Amino acid sequence: MIAFGDLFRMILENRANIPVIEQMLGGIPGVDLILWKPFLALIFMPGFTGLMIVIMLMVWIERKLCARIQWRVGPREVFWYLGGLIQPLADGMRYFFQETIVHRDAHRPYYLQFPILAFIPVLLPLLFISAGPLIAIETDFGVQIAVALISLISVIIIGFGWAANSRFAYIGTIREAFMYFAYEIPFILSVVAMLIIYRTGNTLHIAEMQSVPGALLNPLAFLAFAVTMVMATSRMPFEIPEADQEVAFGPMVEYSGIMFGLVMTIAYEKAYVLAALMTDLFLCGGAGPQIQMLGDLSGAIWFFIKTFIVIIVVFSLRAIYPRYRIDQAMKIGWTFALALSTAALALSVVVSTVIPPAMGQ
Amino acid sequence: MSDESVEFLNSGVLAPIKKWGTRWSLWPAHFVTACCGVELAHAFACGYDGERWGVLNYGISRQTNFIIVEGAITRKMACALRLVWEQMPEPKFVIVLGACGERGGLFWNGYNIVRPSDVVPVDYFVPGCPPTPEALLRGCRAVQDKIEGIDRTTIRFKHVDIGREVIEERLIPTSPKRCALTPTIRIDMHSEAKWVFGRELVSVLERALGDLLVRTAIVGRNRIAVKVNRDKMKEVAVKLKEIGFDHVKSVNVVDIPHEKKFIVEYIVSSYSVEDLKPVLLSVFCDVDRDDAWISSMKDVWESADYQEREMHEFFGVMFEGNPWMGRRFFLAKDSPEYPLRKDFKLKEARYVLEKDEDVRNPPPSDLTLPVPQEFLEDAREKDEYVVYVGPHHPASGHLRTILRVHGDIIVDVLPDPGYVHRGMEKTAENLLYVQSIPLFERCSIVDSPNITLGYVRAIEQALGIHVPERAKYIRMILAELSRIGTFLYDAAIGPMFLGHSTGFMYCFAIREMLVDILTRITGARITTSFIVPGGIRRDVPDDVLDAVNRFTYALRKRWERYMDIFVRNPVTLARLRGVGVITKEDAIKWGMAGPFLRASGVEYDVRKIEPYEAYDEVEWEVPVSDEGDSLARFLVRVEEMNQSIRIIRQAVSALKNIRGEILSEDVLGECSDVYANDIRGYFYRAFGDIVLPRGEFTSITEASRGSLIYSIISDGESNMPYRVRVVTPCLLNLRAFMESVKGERLADFWTVYLSFGYFPPEADR
Repeated sequence: MIAFGDLFRMILENRANIPVIEQMLGGIPGVDLILWKPFLALIFMPGFTGLMIVIMLMVWIERKLCARIQWRVGPREVFWYLGGLIQPLADGMRYFFQETIVHRDAHRPYYLQFPILAFIPVLLPLLFISAGPLIAIETDFGVQIAVALISLISVIIIGFGWAANSRFAYIGTIREAFMYFAYEIPFILSVVAMLIIYRTGNTLHIAEMQSVPGALLNPLAFLAFAVTMVMATSRMPFEIPEADQEVAFGPMVEYSGIMFGLVMTIAYEKAYVLAALMTDLFLCGGAGPQIQMLGDLSGAIWFFIKTFIVIIVVFSLRAIYPRYRIDQAMKIGWTFALALSTAALALSVVVSTVIPPAMGQ
Repeated sequence: MSDESVEFLNSGVLAPIKKWGTRWSLWPAHFVTACCGVELAHAFACGYDGERWGVLNYGISRQTNFIIVEGAITRKMACALRLVWEQMPEPKFVIVLGACGERGGLFWNGYNIVRPSDVVPVDYFVPGCPPTPEALLRGCRAVQDKIEGIDRTTIRFKHVDIGREVIEERLIPTSPKRCALTPTIRIDMHSEAKWVFGRELVSVLERALGDLLVRTAIVGRNRIAVKVNRDKMKEVAVKLKEIGFDHVKSVNVVDIPHEKKFIVEYIVSSYSVEDLKPVLLSVFCDVDRDDAWISSMKDVWESADYQEREMHEFFGVMFEGNPWMGRRFFLAKDSPEYPLRKDFKLKEARYVLEKDEDVRNPPPSDLTLPVPQEFLEDAREKDEYVVYVGPHHPASGHLRTILRVHGDIIVDVLPDPGYVHRGMEKTAENLLYVQSIPLFERCSIVDSPNITLGYVRAIEQALGIHVPERAKYIRMILAELSRIGTFLYDAAIGPMFLGHSTGFMYCFAIREMLVDILTRITGARITTSFIVPGGIRRDVPDDVLDAVNRFTYALRKRWERYMDIFVRNPVTLARLRGVGVITKEDAIKWGMAGPFLRASGVEYDVRKIEPYEAYDEVEWEVPVSDEGDSLARFLVRVEEMNQSIRIIRQAVSALKNIRGEILSEDVLGECSDVYANDIRGYFYRAFGDIVLPRGEFTSITEASRGSLIYSIISDGESNMPYRVRVVTPCLLNLRAFMESVKGERLADFWTVYLSFGYFPPEADR
């Protein structure tokens, strides 16, 4: 049993240093709790706030960006002054008040449970990912746990595809399963390759260690990670399980109303988690010019900017590439990506013998 | 009116949020029901960009709240419409586009048309045929206003007394139509055409077939009619195939109730023998009306299969040996039986309807779509999975296909066309010849100049009208513009099938320019109705011709952007190459047509083989490819577009030196001096009473997607056709499309689909 006093001391010890908030709210009881680093990581970066910005803003940016590439305007009239910025909100409101249909063929309990269950593997990895100096749970196995949890997302998608019991959902589910095997091994190998270099799974330390970005230390791993990330988030050249022109959004075909809203955000959340992992592993985490006023938040904001750019790049592929066929995508996964990540593993072994372990430890 | 939806939105404390969210997030279910879909695509492409209002076309009914019903709803489509509407979650809204959606439009008395308002509650009607994109977007705005509570239905007019005089009641004009009741129908009227090869060919035929023939006749240049007995039909077919007539272009049945017989006619031609390519040989036989059977030619000419099914359900002739006898192919299961028989009468067209007169067809009561049971059971036994694609599917158009997949490989395909079958052939029998021009245009509104040209040429051929030189060139320019436009449409829809929306947008940006050019020439965006028997409706000034010329340069510049982003994309190449390969032999066997045939290595282009308009006066080439895969089919059409540009540029510069009339004196008669350059206002006087001589007149035209065949059968007395048979290129290509999908992967179905540019309204008519 930890005494209340111990807990309080723990909070004080692990307090984020943010001069702005200190000046404005210093001395008000409760601020200490908010400034407790794990709590801040949960509600701010990479937690709730970051996720909400990605979900709300990313849909809009995706639509606007594609529209610009396609010689048109995109959502505009709903909030004219900011170019239709709150279009996703309107869509969300509409979904929220729409009828939720559970069709006769569906397995009702699972059909309704899985979209909600999906939040567990989607959100838990964020606990182990550091945004600058903020991290919710600091452990030497952070990356490993995050990767293991991310792997669960596909299982959930397969679950609700099965529960939907529709023809297209069935095909989409099988496609999801096949794709899962095709990208998962190269994905894990590329992460392992980086762990060999860093010799720890603590994302906080990994981010601090990178005086040179991990992408330059092992470019092969970076490439393998990028390719498998596009496959894992099922974005455009590999948007095969949800191919709407072929299998009508596959596993999600039967969902309507708020349930579809939940299901649809999984893809965005997954993209956010993977992009955050990529930022920590390859792009120096929260490193960037320090802003004195923001203190510890500065790193978190740099982290978020990097993550956001990664997501934008991945999402803008939609406007450039058509879709591969399932066998072609699997071939890429099992040959190109696997070979690339294996080579990355070898490269890491070489690199880690040449470069001594980071000085920080 | 779906007022329940509005009531729901207005209820509760959260009403403002509900209304606001729904208003700005109207997602139409991507449910294209008929030809207005072309303008729908324009409205949501970059020219008009309906997404500005948050109206986002979305493929899956469960996640949408809005249906835009595009035009004519057939009996088959009505079931699909109702199903989609019921799949959608509340609150949901419906708007209906087009004249067909309101009261049937051109097809108001058609046997296969129902009104969408009888099937689903409708919030707004958008008039027009087709409505412009602006009108469609106004319709979407109207629904937004309705959600907000702004009532647009009650506009209060101010009453003003202008003191008008009461005039005496006018008489309702009588119908100008004349119809012989028991006419003599002959489809082998001798012609005096100077055709040396034809006489040789007839003697060859007579020698080869001997006493199997009843009689032979040359009915026109490149047209021969051969009468045989129905028992001998198959033997004749085998021998004709040996001579070189390797595919069927059209299967036709003519019903003559007063003589108690059908005439069953196969129009065959050749792709393999060079000399026979332009020849259309019509093999026909009389069939007893009470005992209507004939052995199927499916074994000899594979390409006859689908058209035999069609003729069977339209006329009730049994084609013995065809497995689809007794089943519906184009028609819904509750469509009237044998609708093209003469004793099935459509409602008479009148200027004023009687009060309370009900002219609508009752909506279908049984909403289930047909599923062939034995197909399903066979699939179950062999452990295969059945997938239904369409008619409501994010990428299926109006075609429904039932795919049987083993793993990821398509084992068998059943096409289920007819969702846009509006019964044009029957409707045309009740219209004056000239009234049918806008009617047939609707079978492929993206390709309207070519479709009109085919019909008009058949009339000109029958009446021996000589078209003035200037009109010929302008018609050729229109036809080529339409060829480009149709390819742009297909090249836009194609990327969508691969999930590449940028390609769609780029093509529609170019198409928007083309539509502007068509508007400047003809006055209409899409349905031009500009080509009339004897020429064109009015002259085209030089500045418009310059604009056409400039357009070809603007097109090339933007087209390169499209090529870069879609065609030269490694993923596209990986998807298209080697998929859906059709060999030369198969292409001939299945009777393909147009650029898709040329992609399989058969050099056949009607514009070269039987040159019409001014195609023999300009320089151009026929692009041919030997690969026969999806990529080849696409690239042949790309190259064809370059040739079209070449033709247009030459024609524009040639037109600068060709002045003169644009309407033939043969048509105008005594009033040729007055209306020579503008027929406006005198149209009916010139064209209203055209009567074709007795006989059958077959024209073949190279439309954008392949050869288009019109057979007009006239009795020589009525000013309405006795029967018009239209065979569109998509109908000819449907067979090859279905066959080439077999053995490919499931995702390749859409690759093959895009390479064929299959346009269901064109196939269904």
